Amino acid sequence: MPLPTKDVLSMIVRNTLRKGSPISIPSDAASGWARDINLPKGGETVLYTSLLYQMVPYTIASTKYLEKLERGSVGGALLKLGKMVSSVFDVSKLASGVSQQEISSQHEILKRIAALIKKADIKFGYLYDDELYAGTLLYDFGRDKDFAKHAKGVYDIFKRNGVGKVITIDPHTTHVLREVYPKFVDGFDLEVENYLEILVEKEISPKRKLEISVTVHDPCYYARYLEIIDQPRELLSRAGVEIREPFRTKRLTFCCGGPIESLSPRLSEEVASLRVSELKEVCENVVTMCPFCYVSLSRAGQGRVQVKDISLHLGEAYL
Amino acid sequence: MGDILSTIFSALDNGNLRTGLERSVRNLAPASIRALDTWPYLVELAEHVRKVKEEVFQNIDYYIDETMKSVRRCAGHAYLAKSPDEVKRIVDDIIGDGRKLIVKAKSMVTEEIQLREHLIAKGHEVYETDLGELLIQLSGGKPMHAIAPAIHITKEEAARLLKKIDPDVRDDMSIEELTARVRLFLREKFIKADVGISGANSIAADSGAIFLISNEGNIRNSTNLPPVLISITGVEKIMPTMKDAFFQALVQSGYAGLYPPTYLSVIAGPSSTADIEYHRVYGVHGAKEMHVILYDGGRRKALKDEHLWEQLLCLRCGRCQAECPIWDLVGNTWGGRVYGGPMGIGWTAIIEGIDKAAPLAMFCLGCRKCREVCPSKIDMPSIIRYIKSKF
Repeated sequence: MPLPTKDVLSMIVRNTLRKGSPISIPSDAASGWARDINLPKGGETVLYTSLLYQMVPYTIASTKYLEKLERGSVGGALLKLGKMVSSVFDVSKLASGVSQQEISSQHEILKRIAALIKKADIKFGYLYDDELYAGTLLYDFGRDKDFAKHAKGVYDIFKRNGVGKVITIDPHTTHVLREVYPKFVDGFDLEVENYLEILVEKEISPKRKLEISVTVHDPCYYARYLEIIDQPRELLSRAGVEIREPFRTKRLTFCCGGPIESLSPRLSEEVASLRVSELKEVCENVVTMCPFCYVSLSRAGQGRVQVKDISLHLGEAYL
Repeated sequence: MGDILSTIFSALDNGNLRTGLERSVRNLAPASIRALDTWPYLVELAEHVRKVKEEVFQNIDYYIDETMKSVRRCAGHAYLAKSPDEVKRIVDDIIGDGRKLIVKAKSMVTEEIQLREHLIAKGHEVYETDLGELLIQLSGGKPMHAIAPAIHITKEEAARLLKKIDPDVRDDMSIEELTARVRLFLREKFIKADVGISGANSIAADSGAIFLISNEGNIRNSTNLPPVLISITGVEKIMPTMKDAFFQALVQSGYAGLYPPTYLSVIAGPSSTADIEYHRVYGVHGAKEMHVILYDGGRRKALKDEHLWEQLLCLRCGRCQAECPIWDLVGNTWGGRVYGGPMGIGWTAIIEGIDKAAPLAMFCLGCRKCREVCPSKIDMPSIIRYIKSKF
């Protein structure tokens, strides 16, 4: 039975406004990785994750639950749906479904990204528990008033910490900060750089060659909103990686289905599955650059393709 | 709201639809890309057409007026209809009393108006002459794509439907044989028809000429053989000149991946001769009467809306549909009564209201592929995001 769109939506909005992100994440899972590598707190320049990679294990667990609701294999009465949908976003109920291994994998990605940026001779800090989700979903779902309110809060935290420049590590946050925040937040003056752009600009050089072939899944926001298309290819090619382009690629890349995952896990997975088939046609090693793409393509591609974040490949070659 | 997902889920469970969509998408997208690679001027023309249309939109009332004057100058009748009911009234008056035989070219505007249904209810005998649209008529469903309406209907299903009009159709007939049966069946209707009805891909304000593109040749027959021709088109299809109207038709055809179009008809008024004693006689081999109905249907109101106006630059080539991940899976079932897919969300807001469009809009991924491939570079993701804000 279909999920009630309005209920799911209002839960996302409510959680983001109250707890700072659509799914609240325990402190360790959010910033433990930065403590492990002793990133300094705050500073003029900060690495800003918008909590997206950290949310991955929780998103996987909540999607599994929503999927069951949608299939009708749990629950029952339609009347209860609203209530059950709201409970899914309660972390305590989700805890059992969250994979510790997935938490460590995502932390590993964040550590590699931080190490790569260091290799480019950039000094930066991290906001730790002050870090908030950028609110992208609110904007994407057309909740403009809520988004404006949330964005103002996020911006204020940056300013309070004396931040002038943020380094973003995913397409959605890069886009929303660079192109949307200036329209919604008065006096917005943060400089926004994406780590892939930095790595190419600073011409970091690889330590070893990777003898692998991959196919690159361009995230829509990098390819069509931000034109970050050549950078990942250049970084991979320099590391000796052979890139095979799928049927639809670069500016014509095909969405992973992620943005509607919470509204309909089934429809979202069907989109991802179309994409997995296209990717698999050229190569089983799929490189993603966005945590949403990672979640969607891994879910739909189980047993068909191996999905790996670009930072893991770059880490192997450049660090 | 739940209804939309239920409809989408039944489409996901519909094997024929899925197979049909998969095959067409694999053909449609590369066909369009090939056309633009082979004839790169189409891309330049598309940019030009957008600029010209923006200028027309600024002065839409003037251009409507000019178009009507021009139609009358070439001995045609011109009308401006604000609502579906007005179109129906005008058409009823033209057709007159008694049961008439009517052949129709495929036209999305007439779907908006539900003109075929109206004429059938009035007791007329009406046939869609586009093969795909004829199958849609026989199935009682709705077109799945602006250009390829019946992509979800298999050969077996087509045979079953065609039996309704031709008892000689058999289940084991090949696609070639089925097409030949339709040719034979419609040939007689074209000749005997009292009235032909068409849309228009473009219409020129300076001359009153309408432009129609077709591959089957059915549009030629529908517009040329019956004594009375009625062409109905949205006011957003008006172009200032013959030249720009021609360009608009070429762009639509190219982006739809059907280039060159097999047929391009340009019709300016009824058929006539003055070959005997320089005495003008109408209706020689073509239509004796030509009626052009310019249809508003919410368009002029939408032109004043700061978000929705841009959707009216749409040429209805269907290019965005073939590239949309959601549309690729479920076709126009993700859509309003008439239009589906990315362009369909904006159009549904225009013709059925934003309340109807908003719950549909929520399933847009915001991936921006539609805007990327649109000949008019319509910012559909922004239009849809605006519609989402009304959910």
